[in-house]
Amino acid sequence: MKRLVRLVLAASIFFAANGELKLPLKSKSVRFAVIGDSGTGAKPQYEVGAQMEKYHASFPFEFAIMLGDNLYGGERESDFLKKFEAPYKGLLDAGVKFYASLGNHDKPNERFYKPFNMGGQRYYTFKNGDAQFFALDSNYVDPEQLSWLVKQLAESHASWKICFFHHPLYSDGKFHGPDTDLRARLEPIFEANGVSAVFSGHEHVYERIKPQHGIYYFVLGSAGELRLHGLKPSEDMAKGFDTDQAFILVEIAEDILYFQTISRAGETIDSGALPKLGTTPGSTQ
Amino acid sequence: MHRMLAKMILVLAVGTSVQDFEKRIAEYGKLRQSAEAQLPHLKPTDSPEAIAQREHAFAQAIRGAREDARQGDIFTPEIAAEFRRMLGDAMRGLRGARVEKSLQHAEPNALKLHINESYPAGVPLQSTPPTILSSLPKLPKQLEYRIAGRDLVLLDVDANLVIDYIVGAIPE
Repeated sequence: MKRLVRLVLAASIFFAANGELKLPLKSKSVRFAVIGDSGTGAKPQYEVGAQMEKYHASFPFEFAIMLGDNLYGGERESDFLKKFEAPYKGLLDAGVKFYASLGNHDKPNERFYKPFNMGGQRYYTFKNGDAQFFALDSNYVDPEQLSWLVKQLAESHASWKICFFHHPLYSDGKFHGPDTDLRARLEPIFEANGVSAVFSGHEHVYERIKPQHGIYYFVLGSAGELRLHGLKPSEDMAKGFDTDQAFILVEIAEDILYFQTISRAGETIDSGALPKLGTTPGSTQ
Repeated sequence: MHRMLAKMILVLAVGTSVQDFEKRIAEYGKLRQSAEAQLPHLKPTDSPEAIAQREHAFAQAIRGAREDARQGDIFTPEIAAEFRRMLGDAMRGLRGARVEKSLQHAEPNALKLHINESYPAGVPLQSTPPTILSSLPKLPKQLEYRIAGRDLVLLDVDANLVIDYIVGAIPE
């Protein structure tokens, strides 16, 4: 009996570690990974990095977006090495580009660090296929940044407009919760300009929020840090995970955003296919 | 009649304080520009050390150029009073409740601030709520209003230097 239990346990560990890919790998799709609050330099960050690398073999994502708190503590050369270059070495060597946004633990001068692809700007935009990404600096949303965002969104003809930044507009995290002042300023702009999805960090958990005003919201602040049992779910939460570190893989193909959220142990904790709202009903599991 | 006169006097006083603030910021801008002229232009680089060295050298150059700087050089008592009034307005009513929630959300830090010193390494930068930013006079992009606990800090971003501050500027 003990032997059987051991066998089942080993099989489940093997399965978890070699988790099934739930993304469709469609041709010409936009493929990326999402990490937030990653820069601890501690073992769990490396383990998430290793899991990402493993999945990269079956899901060759081109780039990763970083939701802030890219480096905790100091910002000496050794910190960049220990908290970014080493944990993602395999991915960097494979040519995966990282696009960073600034968190409250990041010095604004990180924008000059070339591997973060910020081009010396605190907020910036880039395109990939049918998607355009807008990295914001949620530490300092002044009228200039808001004007820039309105202009960039209005000029964009991308099918998918995706914003990412550190402080979440919606969150059921016990520690911080949502930033309501930020929400009051940003959400009307998102809504008026066709933003489809928003990714944030700050709260050290994973959350998928039920669509709000036609926008999908994800919180992923647990790619390095973790606030164990840090969620207090409300009716706005579609899915939450607060017992291990995690990252998200995303594939965008035509009008569908496919996602798979994977824990540090390799377990799929959430996945689904989200249609661009205003198109057709979607499914999640 | 008296009320109208009082309002006119207030408008004039506000205008004068804001103009004075803008003048002081422009003066700082000139000093900053000459400090920066001594340094190589910073472009995106693979070297974190080059970024840190540049920040340090820039801070040193600014410190050298305003070594006698004191708290209140930019936020004079009159300007500070006007900023307190503007911040008080921003913190009123429902909007104020929202801002207060946002401030609590931002990992508040009570710091002992010193003019011409770097914002401490490893201490998170508290975010400044957008409502506060839209209530205060516009700054050149090299300078920022930052919040530390309930204090308002004027921070030179690229040099990571505290330029001036108002203690207890955000009403409780």
